[in-house]
Amino acid sequence: MIKNLIWNDIKQNKLLSAATVFFMTISAMLLALTVLLASSLLGAIDSLMENARVPDFMQMHTGELEVSEISRFAQSREEIKEWQICRFLNFDNSQLTLGGISLADSTQDNGLCTQGEGFDYLMDMENKVPGVLPGQVYVPVCYRSQYHLSVGDTMEIGDYRLLIAGFLRDAQMNSMMASSKRFLVHPKDYEGIKAYGDGRGIAQEEYLIEFLVVDGADTGVLGTAYAGEGLPANGPAVTRPLIRMMNALSDGTMIFVIFLLSIVVLLISMLCIRFMLLLKMERDRKEVGMLKALGVGKKEIRILYFAKYALFSGLGAAFGLLMASLQKAALEKQLKEAYGAGPGGLSSAALAVLAVLLVEGILLLSIRRALKKMEKLSALEALLAPQEERPSRGIFSSVGAGIRKTSRRQYFVIGLVALACTLLMLVPQNLYSTMSAPEFVTYMGIGDGEIRMDVRQTEGIDSATEQIALALKQDTQVRQYAVLRTKSCPVVLEDGTTINLTVETGDHNIFPVSCLEGRLPGKQGEIALSSMNAEELGLTVGDTLKLMVDGKPVAHTVCGIYSDITNGGKTAKAYDLYDGGPSVWSVVYVSLEESAGKEAWMEGYRKKGVDVTDIADYVKDTYGQTLQQLGLASKVSATISVLVIFMVVMLFMRLIVEKNRYRVSLYKALGFTGLDIKRSYFLEGLLPVAGGIVLGLLLGNLLGESLCGVALKAFGADSFRFVIDWGQVLVLIPAALSGAAIPAILAGIAEIGNIKAYECCVGRE
Amino acid sequence: MEILLRAEKLRKDSILNEVSFEMAQGEMLAVMGPSGSGKSTLLYQVAGMDVPSGGQVWLKDTEITGLTEDERARLRLRRMGFVFQQMNMMANLNILDNILLPAIQANKGRYKQSKGQLKEKARELMKKLSISNLENRRITQVSGGQLQRACIVRSMINSPEILFADEPSGALNKSAAEEVMKELGMLNREGMAILMVTHDSRVASSCDRILYLLDGRILGELKLGKPEAGTEKCREEKVNLWLMEMGW
Repeated sequence: MIKNLIWNDIKQNKLLSAATVFFMTISAMLLALTVLLASSLLGAIDSLMENARVPDFMQMHTGELEVSEISRFAQSREEIKEWQICRFLNFDNSQLTLGGISLADSTQDNGLCTQGEGFDYLMDMENKVPGVLPGQVYVPVCYRSQYHLSVGDTMEIGDYRLLIAGFLRDAQMNSMMASSKRFLVHPKDYEGIKAYGDGRGIAQEEYLIEFLVVDGADTGVLGTAYAGEGLPANGPAVTRPLIRMMNALSDGTMIFVIFLLSIVVLLISMLCIRFMLLLKMERDRKEVGMLKALGVGKKEIRILYFAKYALFSGLGAAFGLLMASLQKAALEKQLKEAYGAGPGGLSSAALAVLAVLLVEGILLLSIRRALKKMEKLSALEALLAPQEERPSRGIFSSVGAGIRKTSRRQYFVIGLVALACTLLMLVPQNLYSTMSAPEFVTYMGIGDGEIRMDVRQTEGIDSATEQIALALKQDTQVRQYAVLRTKSCPVVLEDGTTINLTVETGDHNIFPVSCLEGRLPGKQGEIALSSMNAEELGLTVGDTLKLMVDGKPVAHTVCGIYSDITNGGKTAKAYDLYDGGPSVWSVVYVSLEESAGKEAWMEGYRKKGVDVTDIADYVKDTYGQTLQQLGLASKVSATISVLVIFMVVMLFMRLIVEKNRYRVSLYKALGFTGLDIKRSYFLEGLLPVAGGIVLGLLLGNLLGESLCGVALKAFGADSFRFVIDWGQVLVLIPAALSGAAIPAILAGIAEIGNIKAYECCVGRE
Repeated sequence: MEILLRAEKLRKDSILNEVSFEMAQGEMLAVMGPSGSGKSTLLYQVAGMDVPSGGQVWLKDTEITGLTEDERARLRLRRMGFVFQQMNMMANLNILDNILLPAIQANKGRYKQSKGQLKEKARELMKKLSISNLENRRITQVSGGQLQRACIVRSMINSPEILFADEPSGALNKSAAEEVMKELGMLNREGMAILMVTHDSRVASSCDRILYLLDGRILGELKLGKPEAGTEKCREEKVNLWLMEMGW
């Protein structure tokens, strides 16, 4: 009987049933997709990191290296299980070509290396340790699509030519957010190319000093001990959790957006399903009353209703899982390319099923709660209730005269859903335009310049920097420039221990980064800290920090805190620190009088051997992967928003018409035409849609900022302002949403044409 | 005669005022009175659909007013039958399924009768009330009289001890109303006790006894006895005279 009841109910309420299954499906699909993609990504990252045996702590170093010091340190620390030093031959990008395309524009530090001896393996596309032969090279997989490479193409390093034998996954530096990329060559080639590069001054060897620790050991303690011993530390240090986070972040943006989307859609679904159920219960009041009068228990009546939703929920779960699996294949293409297939399989599927059950469980719980209302209703109340709402005031008062009192809640839901859909479209879009805007770099610890020149791989960094500065001073095309020298400076902590701080010195106010608190240093004795350093050192604006300058501790006042993702996120900025000690590297920021000739100007300096980068390209390179995903997530979000607004508006307009059937019939009996009535309902439907969109735009541009701030904090950008693409915001988004809502209103009110004038006189079954 | 239903000093807000009456096994009792006199309210209280503000109702030795809501629901399901003025049936079920609904509900967990047996019983009752051909029809595909007869079959499916009817012919045309009353009369003759609320003196005249309610009190009582063939007109006149006395 329940089967008949459900089947007939579905047949009679096709639209309501379809809408309920739609909401249940889409909510289940989005959360299942989030879980599938997240478990796929994290599983793949973990699997790759496990197979590659990623070091727990790694210190990069440029310059002289005394291996015996490291060996002594490693032996003195019980927590160190294994250690090794990997060599990294960093090349001037202008000397490198891949498949005939020069890497001169690349903002990455590209270099050669050989396979790790005991750990830190570079893996091939089967996630196995490849055996590279002389004359062959394995290229980072991120370059495969970027430079359209395939096996058999060649890589040129100056006059040296290597055959691309495959592509590699570098568990440490796979992410485009990691600024270095390793190419795997045979040891013989490494030595040959090193000799070639050394001879021409186009390569510099760097060292990756790597440690594996015993289970449970604190890599933070190891890092502090390493720095405290004054061991080679001319470069950033990273830990295993940081590597994992960078990998997850660069490819996890899309998943994060889909997750947010799934939460919002779940809330919309709960709202809509609950509302549809309440309306259905309103309609079925008499039937419920009759059942109660006959003595059918509360539980049994609930089961009669609940069974249908349980069936819908089962369908929604099945469709949702199916759609999530189909979508997953398309969306995880990039993840699979970067990390390979994770263990996935059964556990991933089980998690997705759990997620779907969670969604359906939440929806069914909200349905159960709504059904409780019916339980409270006595048989008598239900039997005696009026079945259809009739105009409470004069019938002439409401055609085209504002929102109908009886349908206020439905119009409110339409407005609310329009607002939510606007937010769903707007926030990812604003996030995308913000992250792709040139000024976004200022939230990442990069100066607000147009062009950046890096001096890193040469022996005499300071003299090379001086030469560049001199050339820029005489260059008439240059509007302004700033020279920033980075030095590694010991800091004495309160407990007497010493750590090395990477301090960038120079005038930071010419091309400033954005400060979270305070300001950038403007005079000697002031220092600004990256948020990660400030947090780790427990310092805030106004505190003092003792830097060892020329062997003596000199107090510096913390004048500001800024967000930074460069060099492991642990940096500092001072105005003019001291004269002693060579720079570890230096950066020159430049802006030109006219942007038109930028390319040619940059090419001119490149020919002089300067590593020149257009900052817009830098962002594209660093966040390209993330932006691509964000763009994809933004499209998914926009599609879902358009679908949801169409479904909700159509459904609710249909319900409003249904609820006001008597009234519509009465107007027709009085001589109003179907068109008159439709016009009135159309305007009433349009009003909350327009209101929702306008409010959504306002809220999205204001609240969205703080919401995204939370997400972007994970990327190192602690505070930021939306960079809004007003064309998208004011034209495209409202146009897309209205484009879906208007046909939906028209479809929803089409039933008005079928309502007969006599219905109000004879009543309705 | 054994007392089947007993109401003692029933009160309901300001609608019912200390109403007491008894009803015997196999009796057919009509409650009449002008609109707002409290007839339907009285029926809802004695049928356990509502809780009175005061007083007691007994169905044989069960005190209905002392039961919880769930207990009252079970009592209505197994020991009472209902026929309403509006022929309330589930729109999404056919006639047979609507009739079976309370039967299946009452047989849950007890396994007294199989679904086949219940169907058989429903079909027998349908045949008795001449609606055998309607079992697969939707409720919108039958006439008002047929639907009310289906409601009567539904009310009888659990073999109740008493049948409550609230204006059973109120929404029907004359011939359909006569048919329905004929069926109810037949059931009563077979021993079914019926408590009916009605406006219609013609309908009331087919009952054994009539209570006249005014402003929540029983103003008068008319005993008619079991109807005999050919006495219909005479009984109706008697009722009309009595109603005039009552100020109808």
